[in-house]
Amino acid sequence: MLKSLLRPSLSPLRRTLATAALPRVKQFQIYRWNPDTPEVAPKLQTYDVDLNACGPMVLDALLKIKNEQDSTLTFRRSCREGICGSCAMNIGGVNTLACLCRIDNNTSKSTKIYPLPHMYIVRDLVPDLTHFYQQYKSIQPYLQRDDHPADGRENLQSIEDRAKLDGLYECILCACCSTSCPSYWWNQEQYLGPAVLMQAYRWLIDSRDQAGKIRKEMLQNSMSLYRCHTIMNCSRTCPKGLNPGLAIAEIKKQLAFD
Amino acid sequence: MARLSGLQREVLKLYRICIRATYTKPSENRLHWRDYIRSEFDKHKLLPKKSFSVIEHLLRVGNRRYEMYRDPSIKDVR
Amino acid sequence: MLSVTRVGLRQIQPSSFARAGLFARSLTTIPQPPGGVTGNVNEAYVPPKPLKSHGSFHWTSERIVAVGLLPLVGSSFAGTSSTIIDTTLAAFMLYHVHSGFQSCIIDYIPLRVYGSFHKICMYLLTFGTGVAGYGVYEIEQKEEGGLAGVVSRIFKA
Repeated sequence: MLKSLLRPSLSPLRRTLATAALPRVKQFQIYRWNPDTPEVAPKLQTYDVDLNACGPMVLDALLKIKNEQDSTLTFRRSCREGICGSCAMNIGGVNTLACLCRIDNNTSKSTKIYPLPHMYIVRDLVPDLTHFYQQYKSIQPYLQRDDHPADGRENLQSIEDRAKLDGLYECILCACCSTSCPSYWWNQEQYLGPAVLMQAYRWLIDSRDQAGKIRKEMLQNSMSLYRCHTIMNCSRTCPKGLNPGLAIAEIKKQLAFD
Repeated sequence: MARLSGLQREVLKLYRICIRATYTKPSENRLHWRDYIRSEFDKHKLLPKKSFSVIEHLLRVGNRRYEMYRDPSIKDVR
Repeated sequence: MLSVTRVGLRQIQPSSFARAGLFARSLTTIPQPPGGVTGNVNEAYVPPKPLKSHGSFHWTSERIVAVGLLPLVGSSFAGTSSTIIDTTLAAFMLYHVHSGFQSCIIDYIPLRVYGSFHKICMYLLTFGTGVAGYGVYEIEQKEEGGLAGVVSRIFKA
């Protein structure tokens, strides 16, 4: 009660303090390309943002630019807290989620923002992820069983078996890792890429799943899995701190002893 | 006639399948479809032939739209 | 019809350079589906046919050879070379290099895009490996100390 009474009197005070400080103007260079005028080559457009009047993350800056400077700037975003994977883009040369990436406070340098590399671009920062989702669908990312539990209720799993899924199930399919992989750049039509392979592994080691044979057979060719040359860009870039490289190595190990 | 490049042949191929697809549409609307296809191709006829990536992009878009409009439930275009 | 041909044909000039460029462009690549997407948006990607000799067997043999090379190279450096060790070293090395180049070809000249060029490259590689294999056979037959002997003599010279 007391708090709610205090709040309206406090906030104007805070705002005056913020504007009183020197403006910290940061330059953002953002990739722009409009499909309606395809003959105009893509270019970097520069925007100035005062960091004092902006949230701490790159997504806040993007939203501020879209709200106040240029409403034609196009990008995907949804949850603004790193759980939806919509705002994946290449910020300062690293694939990451704009909502989890802090703005570099060094105002002398500009921040460059590109869409995910080596993808077909729909517009500005929006890549075409159709093929990525088709690949995800091809690994059959759902529980497959021949029989069902006798009591007609859920499939039970021991605590140890459940623990194997940690570090795998957290993947939000933002495609940061796949698009950072040179092998995926050259052969994305056939190589599944780290994100999808990690999910393939997640279903391979699930103790409740019984379709392991089909899942393994699908990867038995030179393209789907074995284009991974352990470059490990995937593990380095993952904004959720997961390790797709390790998962792929585990799949290879399983297949070798298959 | 000069030898066509791969990209030029692709463009011609797309144009041909588009025109052919008009014959699956009701006969009274066929001219609408043809005019529409021509106007869409004409929009970019001044494009320099060296702008490969632009032409490739337009081909991708064109193929997608062809797939979409081919649906028999779409009868007319205006 | 005219309007479309005009897209590309308006500025054709009979310069040999442009012709060569066009020729190379039309010859090298197989046209890819728009956006790399085959079928409609909800269709799953179809993987290539399963073939163990291209999949896990290939990978496992590569690793075994790579790991096996370490003691072989070590023993050759230590100077305890026999004909058997030396021949195995040469053969393993050959396979290791062969599979390395094979990976490069699959990565950079994929069958999907380059079609027959991919196959030509693979034949060339196999041919090269064959020639190198014959060379290794000759060395093992004629040279004193086999491959390790030749290398140490080159190093000293």
